[in-house]
Amino acid sequence: MVGKDCVAIACDLRLGLQALTVSNNFPKIFSYGDVYLGLTGLATDVSTVADLFRYKVNMYRLREERQISPQTMANLVSSSLYERRFGPYFVSPVIAGINHTTGKPFICGFDSIGCIDFAKDFIVSGTASDQLFGTCEGLWEPDLGPEDLFETVSQALLNAVDRDALSGWGAHVYIIEKDKVTKRLLKGRQD
Amino acid sequence: MDSLVAQYTRPAEQQEGYFDEDQLELSQGSPQLSLKFALPPVANSSAWLRAMTDDYSNPNCPIKIAHGTTTLAFRFKGGIIVATDSRATAGNWIASQTVKKVIEINSCLLGTMAGGAADCQYWLAYLGMQCRLHELRHKRRISVAAASKILANLVYNYKGMGLSMGTMCAGVTPQEGPALYYIDSDGTRLAGNLFCVGSGQTFAYGVLDAEYSYDLSDEDALELGKRSILAATHRDAFSGGFINLYHVKEDGWVKHGFNDTNPIFWKTKLEKGEFSNVTSELV
Amino acid sequence: MEVLLGLTGKDFTLVASSKAAMRGVTILKATDDKTRELNKYNLMAFSGEAGDTVQFAEYVQANVQLYSMRNNSELGPAAVASFVRGELAKALRSRSPYTVNLLLGGFDPITQKPTLYWCDYLASLAQLPYAAHGYAQYYCLSTLDKHHHPDIDLEKGLKILRMCSDELKRRLPIDFKGLAVKIITKDGIREEDWVDDKQVLPA
Repeated sequence: MVGKDCVAIACDLRLGLQALTVSNNFPKIFSYGDVYLGLTGLATDVSTVADLFRYKVNMYRLREERQISPQTMANLVSSSLYERRFGPYFVSPVIAGINHTTGKPFICGFDSIGCIDFAKDFIVSGTASDQLFGTCEGLWEPDLGPEDLFETVSQALLNAVDRDALSGWGAHVYIIEKDKVTKRLLKGRQD
Repeated sequence: MDSLVAQYTRPAEQQEGYFDEDQLELSQGSPQLSLKFALPPVANSSAWLRAMTDDYSNPNCPIKIAHGTTTLAFRFKGGIIVATDSRATAGNWIASQTVKKVIEINSCLLGTMAGGAADCQYWLAYLGMQCRLHELRHKRRISVAAASKILANLVYNYKGMGLSMGTMCAGVTPQEGPALYYIDSDGTRLAGNLFCVGSGQTFAYGVLDAEYSYDLSDEDALELGKRSILAATHRDAFSGGFINLYHVKEDGWVKHGFNDTNPIFWKTKLEKGEFSNVTSELV
Repeated sequence: MEVLLGLTGKDFTLVASSKAAMRGVTILKATDDKTRELNKYNLMAFSGEAGDTVQFAEYVQANVQLYSMRNNSELGPAAVASFVRGELAKALRSRSPYTVNLLLGGFDPITQKPTLYWCDYLASLAQLPYAAHGYAQYYCLSTLDKHHHPDIDLEKGLKILRMCSDELKRRLPIDFKGLAVKIITKDGIREEDWVDDKQVLPA
């Protein structure tokens, strides 16, 4: 979710097999320098894709001797997912970050084969995405400051997952500002 | 003779476009006791209904019926504890968090609902009616055995038509004492000391079996019932919401609240140190 | 109806697996060991498709040992878990995936902490204080939720395991012939004498 000179990215913590909750501490947001990647979908592919991009981004940093920008990361994710066009990873990623050359916030989302969805306001993905569209449309407004953005993104996520049987069990929220990142744990409903 | 006449004469208002049978039913003063349900106009109606409503075999089925539950009841020296969660789900969508899954049939009889919400609600209400009629006819309250048998026979009549219910009847009567029966839509009817029903049943059994004993005190029994439901709401995605707790005693049932699981969960975790798999602090 | 159970305590990890080897309606063996020692501090318990299980376990066992020979250093629990997940994930998208569910019990000799990893045949990996596979998940996780605590000693750990085993014996419709119990501590892996002759009936 985009704010004024800040962005937020949040995820729930459930790992489950259908109705059974296996773990309540399975974060779906991974950091790559200044860029944050959220991954929903098949748990094995969440881990595989996260590890794959850790490798690719590390290689990029060594070759270029600089951190990857959110825009470059978006194109890397897109092309990497399309490489698996005929046997896709079952994930739908979300990217959030601040571009350190322009200072502008950036977010985007993808389908499982790499189609980029740019947005100025918010991106949602996962089993509760229908609910998230509703809560985000209702709560988001332009130019929110970091504290207000935290409140908005937290309320949007918690209220959405409370109407989805398959997600919830706590949440992580990252508020990304130009020179500061704040990570918080939300103690959500545990049912 | 009157019925014959009624069958072949048409009152004036009949021309308004109602079907004959509908009109007949509407013009009768009191609702009849023999139940009639409209069936879909297809050759094999039960198979058709199953194809339309079974979201387990077909996640895209057009009609989603509310499912998913944890209910439990157990007998002990102080009577019977009945506890349920309160979540109704249609697919992955949480349709409600405040369903009342304990149905108060009368002041001494309770029923629990698991499976199709509408099926349980309708048939337990119908059972309540039959129990009251029994009382009026025989001038004494119906036994739990008889009440559960009415329900079991009833659902057995509809076997294979797609009814879905797993229910428990708990009650106290002078002749039987505290009695507990399990009835499901297959036609099973079992008397027993302890039952858990619904998608979260195994989780409830896990907690309940480990500490159950017939000689539990009232307080411990209520706590154990509550804790078992809490365990199931935590692990089963289709159970959750509020814990509905009842105690059936010699002189009727007593309600012990309809409490949100969320504060109960965090109290259990933070005060007793249980649920050590849940993180409460960021590391 | 294969049972895998694992739990960690203050200074140990317990891994239990059912002793019945079933094929169809027949129990072929009642003293089966569904675990392999990967190295001194890592034990892998497995269940799933017949054939795949032992093949995969012994493949991993050999590779973990090969790594130690080549590099003169033992792999820690996190490294083993990561390697196993990687191999399983690779196999998943090949023509012959391994249908194997795993519990990786370990003790980290550097941090002196017990560890337990849960991994299913899709290669979803999670580190947990206690875990199970198969029907045991449905019956035992709630019991463990209630009675487990990170600081428990071995005696309490075995008591909790007994509660789980009793619950399975009480509610599972097929006999799994009891559990084989292994304990991983700072001294390595050992088998516990698990006496299991009591009949348990539902209330």
